[in-house]
This record gives sequence, structure tokens and C-alpha cells, in this order.
Amino acid sequence: MTIKLDGKARRQGVPLIDGIDKVTGRARYTADLEHADALVGRILRSPVSHGEIVRLDVSKALALEGVRAVITGDDCPHTYGVLPIAMNEYPLARGRVRYRGEPVAAVAATDLETAEKALGLIELEVRALPAYYTSEDARADGAVLLHENKPGNIEREVHHGFGDVDRGFSEADLVREATITCAEVNHAQIEPHACLADFDPLTGRLTVQSVSQVGYYLHLMLARCLEIDASRIRVVKPFVGGGFGARVEVLNFEIITALLARVAPGKVRMHLTREENFLTHRARPQTDMRLKLGMRRDGRITACELHVVQRGGAYAGYGIVTLLYAGALLQGLYDIPAIKYDGYRVYANLPPCGAMRGHGGVNTRHAFECLLDRMARELLLDPFAVRRANLLHAPTRTLNDLMVNSYGLAECLDKVEAASNWHNRIGKLPRGKGLGMACSHYVSGAAKPIHWTGEPHAVVNVRLDFDGGVTALTGAADIGQGSSTMVAIAVAETLGVSLDRVRVIAGDSAVTPKDNGAYSSRITFMVGNAAIDAARRLRTILCEAAAQKLEVPPEDVDCIGEAFHVGGGGQSSIAFCDVAKAALVNRGPITVTGTFTCPPEAQGGKHRGGAVGSTMGFSYAAQVVEVTVDEATGLVTVDKVWAALDCGHAINPLAVEGQIEGSVWMGMGQALSEETTYADGLPLHASLLEYRVPTAAESPPIEVHIVESNDPNGPFGAKEASEGALAGFPPALVNAVANAIGIDLNALPVTPDRVVEALVERRRGLRLAAARRAAS
Amino acid sequence: MHIESERSAKRLVRLKVNGRWREDAVGQNELLVDYLREVARLTGVKTGCDGGECGACTVLIDGEAVPSCMVLAVRCEGRAVETVEGLLSQGRPSRLQQAFHEKLGAQCGFCTPGMIMAAEALLRRNPNPTDGEIRTALSGNLCRCTGYVKIVESVKTAAEMPS
Amino acid sequence: MTALLPQFRLAHPRSVSDAIATSQENAGSRFIAGGTDLIVNARHGLGKSSLLIDLSGIRELAEIRASDHGIRIGSMVSIAALTRDAATSQNYRAVKEAAEAIAGPGHRLMGTVGGNLCLDTRCIYYNQSEWWRRANGFCLKHGGDTCHVAPQGRRCHAAFAGDLAPAFLALRAEVEIAGASGCRRIPVGDLYVEDGSAHLTLAPDELIVAVVLPPNPPPSSYAKVRVRGAIDFPLAGVAVALAAANGVIQSLNIGLTGTNSRPFLLAGTDAIAGRPVDEKVLQQLDRLVQKQVQPMRTTIASAHYRRLAAAALACRLVASLSAAKEA
Ligand SMILES: Cc1cc2nc3c(=O)[nH]c(=O)nc-3n(C[C@H](O)[C@H](O)[C@H](O)COP(=O)(O)OP(=O)(O)OC[C@H]3O[C@@H](n4cnc5c(N)ncnc54)[C@H](O)[C@@H]3O)c2cc1C
Ligand code: SF4
Ligand code: FES
Ligand code: FES
Repeated sequence: MTIKLDGKARRQGVPLIDGIDKVTGRARYTADLEHADALVGRILRSPVSHGEIVRLDVSKALALEGVRAVITGDDCPHTYGVLPIAMNEYPLARGRVRYRGEPVAAVAATDLETAEKALGLIELEVRALPAYYTSEDARADGAVLLHENKPGNIEREVHHGFGDVDRGFSEADLVREATITCAEVNHAQIEPHACLADFDPLTGRLTVQSVSQVGYYLHLMLARCLEIDASRIRVVKPFVGGGFGARVEVLNFEIITALLARVAPGKVRMHLTREENFLTHRARPQTDMRLKLGMRRDGRITACELHVVQRGGAYAGYGIVTLLYAGALLQGLYDIPAIKYDGYRVYANLPPCGAMRGHGGVNTRHAFECLLDRMARELLLDPFAVRRANLLHAPTRTLNDLMVNSYGLAECLDKVEAASNWHNRIGKLPRGKGLGMACSHYVSGAAKPIHWTGEPHAVVNVRLDFDGGVTALTGAADIGQGSSTMVAIAVAETLGVSLDRVRVIAGDSAVTPKDNGAYSSRITFMVGNAAIDAARRLRTILCEAAAQKLEVPPEDVDCIGEAFHVGGGGQSSIAFCDVAKAALVNRGPITVTGTFTCPPEAQGGKHRGGAVGSTMGFSYAAQVVEVTVDEATGLVTVDKVWAALDCGHAINPLAVEGQIEGSVWMGMGQALSEETTYADGLPLHASLLEYRVPTAAESPPIEVHIVESNDPNGPFGAKEASEGALAGFPPALVNAVANAIGIDLNALPVTPDRVVEALVERRRGLRLAAARRAAS
Repeated sequence: MHIESERSAKRLVRLKVNGRWREDAVGQNELLVDYLREVARLTGVKTGCDGGECGACTVLIDGEAVPSCMVLAVRCEGRAVETVEGLLSQGRPSRLQQAFHEKLGAQCGFCTPGMIMAAEALLRRNPNPTDGEIRTALSGNLCRCTGYVKIVESVKTAAEMPS
Repeated sequence: MTALLPQFRLAHPRSVSDAIATSQENAGSRFIAGGTDLIVNARHGLGKSSLLIDLSGIRELAEIRASDHGIRIGSMVSIAALTRDAATSQNYRAVKEAAEAIAGPGHRLMGTVGGNLCLDTRCIYYNQSEWWRRANGFCLKHGGDTCHVAPQGRRCHAAFAGDLAPAFLALRAEVEIAGASGCRRIPVGDLYVEDGSAHLTLAPDELIVAVVLPPNPPPSSYAKVRVRGAIDFPLAGVAVALAAANGVIQSLNIGLTGTNSRPFLLAGTDAIAGRPVDEKVLQQLDRLVQKQVQPMRTTIASAHYRRLAAAALACRLVASLSAAKEA
């Protein structure tokens, strides 16, 4: 079967190039890799929330037959972390534990039973310290500090101001405040964490295969924590069963597995349980927000003030970035003349939070779009009209100096408004039924990489050999989002060859060029551009070879449909393979390197933290959600969703649709049912029964509309498509519930008990009011 | 009545896996999912949870789709077990496999084998399911990538394909 | 390898008497039916047992038989088979609706009627891993001496959350129990006591043979509240069997699950008999349910919510059954 990128494939898209492996069960994920000869690794986790390790005796475990390695914090004196400026965590606790579930020791044994038995033989004594599970408690006067250098248990404060907020509020016809809170949620990717590490004592080389979204970070941290020269390490990414941000940061179990492999020495596999996945966490923090908006009678926003407190868990992780995103992403969606942002990231004795799909922006957007709707209602304005009154006009730069070169939000609004038949239905639905809408956006890759090396922001190598096969080599991790397919399409389109001539090899540090990884939706924009650049270079070489054979100047040659033609075709042409052979004469196999670098003007403002939020372009989304609310049981059912997203250009429309559906639906999970809860620091939700990922039964049909604003810098005009639509769902849902039953909910998720409590509260309020009226 | 001695924790079990009979010594406390993955090396069978909560391990036992992580392998004596690997016939993907591929019913692909097996059981007993019937039949299989939209579409497409 | 199950052996009796004899000879043995509760708990280190007595080889337990004396459902009939049974579906709607609302499709194929009735009680401090429970100092129900839900109390409040029991209760079903001293038959309600750590009245060597539904049942219906549309156990589940003539209630039976350590039949419904289903009766019913359910903080959802939801479901089912009757 030849896959031609003809008109139909462009319109509808193509299946993933590794799809067949997935549907046949052939695809090997980390836990599926051959491990018959591997030892089994297990981790001993702290049973207490906060305390000093008084005694840790592993001698009995070491003495157990079948145990090949036991390690503790003594085996690794190096911190690790995703941000070079905030690495305050050890793979295995040293001296102090700060959350229940923190790794304290680990064993490698010949089988699982022995490994478990060995864990039971480790003696751990901890002197308990006071522990804090809410931001408020952690910040209270006199609270014991989780980290000595962080007074008030505040990891970071951010205070940003742009424009004249006071003037903005004084010019407003309506000023309103809302206090909104979002529960902590988790990625809950279906593939549990796993790692396979192989240390060869004879050569001193280490090979690690893991579920990572960023093999490069893992590589760096392995070298740091194991003190092995990076050149002796190989990191390979097998098939990965979803990431959603969970696997951007290097995770403790990955380093622990490698440490065990070195001590054993040999091959160690580590498969975490679902409970351990929740303990590893690194997801969206519980967030308290106080938002104030000023609005003119016509819906124009005059000023915005946001106060955010994120409960970040026990270690820094990604925290500073999450906090900065929460402020920065107030901008870039609407035209707001004045913005003040105060953010606080707080340490608490809970598993550390991190990045999760829509990193930092989701909860902020939720609060914003909810309050916007409430104010619109008060001013008797239509929710669509209010959004339209505040549109940006590209090209422009935001107050915090973010670049906006393409902006399809207006079209997104038109699309969902029409598709949902909004104007004929809003206000005319029976009680209990409601419509709500909201907008959202997200970056197409952080324009400034975390590790500043001076290298290009993305590199793709493309090879051509005697067989006529084109091989694209990329370090970008395909974690199910279809990035390898995107690379293949970009190369095939640029070269003018069929898709199945192109092979993509991704995520193996021994052969693929380094990549900054699968996060902040950077791959399509950056790696896509690098792939096009590489393919162009190859095309130039091939065109020259073809031109020589055809005896015409190279500028006159083009490759379309696997053949090189002169001019617009018609005249003489040579098959791709013949040109490839000609190009290899004298030169041998060809490897070209394509790169992409975000220009300095894309890298954000000069203020402290100004790089966060900076991007080459934003995706834009609008969505309408229709709900039915059962006032007796509090159950909210989503009947239908209409979502439109501006992804610049859909390189693979099928994949773009899939990403929009998936992100809208993930927003639904956060909105309706998902939340992590703790009892004195022990997770009550550490299973897929209590952590309620929606099932197919209650998940709605999602109608997707793709909007193409053609970004001037995007690959073929493309921007991101995987995250932008998520943040719009929760507020659209809460707005729809308000439309259905007239109650504004201030807490996520909107579980049946919360809805019923709100209804009870309202009835109580009405009764009180009636009693007061009667009395007066 | 016959009960194995305390010491022989393992027992010979004969069962049909993807159309072929096989006999293995299996621990009495061994789960079918582990037998399939570790002994039969059918790693298309996935595990996504700590027991019965996600459906990633769904296989067919005598034609019915059940999570293999709640089944003791020794209880499959004499029974026919099918996994996603068994759906290929003469090297060709089945209708469901083809449809999940073409319609993007699989993104990361981790829930896919279980999802396809649950759908396979559905189509065998109900060749023309409605959207609602598909959603009910798949409601024990969690997917974190697709929002189920393209999964439902894939099953519908498979049902419409000539077999 | 996925999980470490405790070491145990399996026995495969071919008859009920064989099963009981095996159980008597082996203290600490347990029956295993579908295993969807037992295996999951075993993976958490709960309900350890050295011998599992597999009931799946006993053919007589897997039959549904309809006769003039009603319907006799063998304890090993799968939940899925129950939902497909025509006679049950037609006349005992509450049973069918309850069965359809259990867990997910795979659980329904494996899970059985007997296992559903004998389901262990549930609590957020109990249905956790060994590591978790140890870190929490265990609890009264298993390995510890305090209850984290009601630390002052002396009993366990873990909630019974099987869906079928309330339907059987409302329809006045009985269970047939076989033991060493022969067979006995008791109302479903007598199978349970209000104690989360010992909610079943069965002796260790007794097993449920069948559930018998009496003939000519009144119209009935079942509803449960749960966050998701599948998989989730009931936060509250209500079955109503309502006989009415000319809009007047003749008999009303309401079974409840998910709120207490046992499923139970609502007391005091006879006081409502003889009256039409109107606002007043529904208000009275609402109060009755709220008074008798005793949800405790054993789920993530609040106890208060489960109380309100149970009452709301009861009222809704009574209203809809009486409306359907008139239509
Ligand atoms: C994710 C998940 C979700 C679930 N959701 C629900 C739900 O929504 N509603 C619900 O009701 N259940 C639910 N369940 C529980 C379970 O699947 C069902 O209740 C099922 O019917 C149990 O039956 P079983 O045959 O599998 O029981 P088993 O696990 O085999 O047995 C359960 C208990 O009953 C005893 N037992 C079994 N049969 C007999 C007998 N004949 N005589 C005496 N004792 C016996 C066993 O010894 C054991 O103690 C869920 C389970 C899981 C894992
Ligand atoms: S109710 Fe109390 S005793 Fe019972 S399981 Fe829960 S915590 Fe334990
Ligand atoms: S592995 Fe999750 S249900 Fe079997
Ligand atoms: S495709 Fe990733 S979990 Fe379903």
C-alpha cells in the first residue's frame, strides 16, 4: 500500500505510521520489553508525611537470598530535578522525608516475591515532624519549614503588573470578584510507569529504556546522579502509553532503577503499581484563586487582577514554571489593557506536583472564563459578544511581550456558535438543561528552552542511502500524540515522495539527535520546522543530481509524486530512486541536518520570569458544552460538545481531531469527576476506581471544527493542537450548569455531592430570605 | 476430594491460546494476565491498574471479554483464550484492527488491545451495534487519549466493513 | 509480573455437599465464585486464605429456573446471564436494572449473584494497599484496633455496596443456604447484620445455593447514584417495589444499599399504604429514608450527600412507578 499525500489525505489526514503496531499488539511498551534475565526492582516508600530518618538498616534485606542490590539515599548524594535552578530532591530521601510515599530505599532481587520480602526486612525509623496538607496550614505562622531556605514554606512568589490596573477598574462599569478553587488532578495515563535499566560492568555502559517524554532530561540526570560520563549512557524510548506531562520531568524511579542496575550489577526492571503512579504524581496542583475583573457596559474588559495560591507538594519540581504560566497565560487570548498577577507556590507534605496538559494555564483560564460569563449575565450581554468585544488583532504583542502572529479565535467563535445553534437555543431550554461556552489557548512550545546550551531549539537529521529509503532521525518522543507521523508527513511533503518511503526513528540517544522533548506542545512547531528544513536540504541535493541528468538548471527541477520533473512537469522526468542513486555517486550515503531556532523576539519579555509563556504562536479554541443537570441527585451529564480550534494548519487533520477530542474530554474529567484527595497525606484516590477517569458510558459526542489561521512561522502554517482546547471545557461546563439551574459553582470538580450541597445552600438561603421578609 | 499437596504450588494447565492448545505448569495463585504476558509472551495484553479497574488486560475467554487480571490462570483449564495477537488471520489485521488503525481509534495504543477485544466480543454477538451499545460494551475499558470519540467511530466502521 | 497474590491452593468440588465438606475440612478456606471481589481484595492483602474453593464446577448452582413458585436463581449465575434472562427481566425489573448497573461489562460476565450478595463491605480506609493501610496503622476491620471513620466507636462502618441485594429485598426474595447441617431458607434481609467487619450471618462453611424470588411480583425498579456512568459502586442504591390500585398504594417495599454496613429494607412503609402517591407521601418517604440510612464517611463523596441522594432516589422511583402504573 502506498500512502500518497494527495488531496484526500490532506483533507482527512492519514493514520499514524506506527498504528498497525498498536492495533495488533505488536508494539512493545517498556513493561513489554524482554526482561526474562532482569532483576526485579521495588521501592520502599515512606509511611510518614514528614520526619527525620533516625535509622535505616538494610542489612537483613541484603542478607536475604536472591537479593542483589539494596540502595538508600547514601547511594546518591546528588539532587535531581527539571529546573536547573530548583533541584531540591534526591532520588532516595536523604535524612528527611517530606511526603508519604517518598522513596526511601530500593531493592533488586531475582523475583518479585523476594523483592517484596526484602522491603519488609528493611528497618526504618522516622522521627515525625508536623505535616501540612493545605497551603493555609503550610503558610501559617510558626509552621515547620519543609526546606530550610524557603521561609513561610513558599517556594516562589511572583508579582507581575502590566498597565494601570487602578485606572482600569475605575473606568469599568462593573467590577466583580470571584473566589474559585480547583482540585488537584492527575494525568492518569493508562500505561503505568516502568523502566528497564541495564548496566554492563565490563564496559561501564548504561542503557535505560523508560516511559520518558524527554529522553534528553533523563540522560542528563542519569549522568548527574550516577556520576557516569554521559557518553557511556544510552537512553531509549520504547512505545509510550501516554504522558500528558507526567513524564517530562525525570522521575525518581527512573534514577532508582539505574542505580540498582549499577549496584547489582546487571539488568533491572521496575514496574510501578497504579498506586505508586499516583504517589509519583507531578500533576496539576490544587489551586485557590481570587480574580477581579473590570468591564465596561459593552463588554470590554478594563482590568484584571488575579491572586493565585498553588499547593505544590513537597518538592520544587516544575513549580516555578507552573506558577509563572498561571500568570503569563492570562495574556495572549484577549486584549486586556491592565493586568496584575500575584502568585504563590506553597510547599506541603504531599506528592510533588508538576506539569500537566495545559500546564499552568488551565485553572487560571477556568476562573477567568467563569467570572467573564457571570459579569456578562449581569450586564445582559451574550457570552459570545463579550468575548468578541475583547479580541486581539494579529500581528501584535501582548502586555507581557508575547508574540501573536496568527489569531483564529474569532473564527472559532463563529464556528461553535453556529454549530451549536446557540442563538436559537440559549435561554429557551427547559429547566435542568443548559448551554455554556468558553475560550482558551495554549503555547506552541516554550520559545526558551529550560537548559540554555546555545544549540538550535530542534534538530532533525534526514538520511538517504542506496535503497532509496528516506530516514528521519529525531529525538522527539512520540507518546501517542503522533509526532513521528507528523515528522514523516513534513519530510514526505517537502520532498514530494510518498509517505511510506519515509521511515522515522525516534528517541534513541545512540542514533537520534538530541531533542528538548515532548512538552509544551513544541514538537509540531519546532521539530516540524526542523524536519522541513532537513528535507529541503536533501531536496536541494537531489534536485542538483536530477538537474545534471536532465541537463537543466537545478531551479527548474521539482519533485512531485516520487519523480523529478522539469518545470511544471509534462516534459522529461526521472524516478526518485534513479535520482537518489545519482546523488550518491561520489558522495556516498547522505545525511542532512535541519534545525529550528526561535528568534530572540519570540522569547518573551525582559521582566523576571518573562520567558515563561513565550512562544512562536498560540493555538486558540472556543467551545460550547450542553448539559443536563439532575437536581435530585446532583448528577451533571454532558450531552454534547462543540469545539473549534485554530491550529494554524492541520498537517494531519485526523490526528488534530484526535488531539482536540482528547483534550476537550480530559478537561471534562477535571470538570466533572477527577480529583485527588488525601487523608493525612495518604492518597484516597490512588486507583482508577477512586480516581474517576470518565468512561465511554458518560462521555459525550464531541464535534470538532478545525480553524486554520496559517501562522507565518509555523511548519506549513501549523501551530499546536493538543492542549489549547482543554482549558475551555471546565468553565464552559460550569457556565452551562449556571444556565441550567441558576447556580454558579466555585469549586471543581462539579461532582454530584457538590451540586447537591449548592442546591441545599440555595434553598436555605431562599428560606432565610423569606423568613426575613415575613418578619420585617 | 482431591486437593493438591501444600508443596506443589504449581499445577499443569491445558488451555487453548489463540487457537492453539498449550500445557504449562502454572502457579495456583497466578493471574491469567501474568501467564499470558510472562509465559505465553503475549505482551499485547496490558496491565493498567492494580485490579479490575481499567480493562487494559481484557481478553476473550470462550468468546466473552473479561479483564484477565481478575482471573486465576488455573481456572482456565480446558478453555479458549484469545488475545489481540490472535485476531490477525494469515498475517492480515482483522476488521476491528484495520478500523482502529484507519480511524485513529488508537493514539498511544495502550488501551487499544483491551478495547479491541471488548469490541470484538460485542461484534460477535451484535454485528450492528448502535453508538449506545458500543459505549456500554466498552464502558469497562478506560482510555486516556481519545475521549472515546474515534474509538466508537472505529467500532462502527469495523461493523460496516465486509468481513 | 503484575501482582503478588498470597500463596493459596484451589479446590474444585463438583457438588454442593463436596464444597461444604471441603470447607469443613479446611479451616480458613473460602469460596470463590467470579473472583471479581475476592481476587482484587487478595491483591491488596485482604481476606487471606490458604484454600479457595472454586464453586464454578457445580453445575446446579448456575441455573435459573422459573416455576409457579417464582424464580430460583442459582448463586453461580453470572450477573450478565441474569440481565439476559427473559423471565427476570420482564417481571422483576428492579433485579434486571440493578444487575445492569453493576461495575463494567467484564465484571458482569465474571461476577455472580452469590458473590454480589456476599460482597465485602467497603471503606476508603480499607480498600487500599497493604503499604497504605500499614502506614495508617490499619483499622478495626482488618489488623488494627481503631476505626478512622468513627474513632470513638467500637464498630466498623464500612458500607455494603452490592447492587442486587436491595432489589431482592424489595421483592421479598429468600436465600437458600446449604451447610453441614443441611439446607435453610431465610429472607434476604436476614443474611446481614449492621456491622462492617462481619456483615454476613453465614457460617464459614455455609454457602448460598440460590435466591428465590416469589411469584407475581409488584412492579419494581432500581436506581443508584454514582459519579461515572459505569464501573462505580453505588454511593446509594434504592430498589422500590410498589403495588398500587387506582392510584392508591397497596404495598410498598424499599431496599437500600451503599449507605449502611448492610443492605436493608426500609421500615415503616406500611404506614404509607392505603394512601395515594402525592407530594405529602413523598415528603414523608423522604424523611423516612433520611432517618434510617446511616452513611458514614467511608467514601470520598460526603455522607450527607449519600443520605440526601438515597431519599431522592426513593421518592423518584415511587413517583415514576406510580405514574407508570396509571399510564
Ligand atoms: C472496579 C470494580 C467495580 C465494581 N463495581 C461494582 C458495582 O458497581 N456494584 C456491585 O454490586 N459490585 C461491583 N463490583 C464488585 C463485584 O464485581 C460484583 O459485586 C460481583 O458480583 C461479585 O461477584 P463474584 O462472583 O465475582 O464474587 P467473588 O469475588 O467470587 O466473591 C465475593 C465474596 O463472596 C463469597 N461468595 C461468593 N459466592 C458465594 C456463595 N455462593 N456462598 C457464599 N459465599 C460466597 C466469596 O467467598 C467472597 O467472600 C465491582 C468490582 C470491581 C473490581
Ligand atoms: S469504617 Fe472504620 S473500621 Fe471499618 S473499614 Fe473503615 S476505617 Fe476500618
Ligand atoms: S489491568 Fe486494569 S482491569 Fe486488568
Ligand atoms: S489510546 Fe492511549 S489510552 Fe487509549
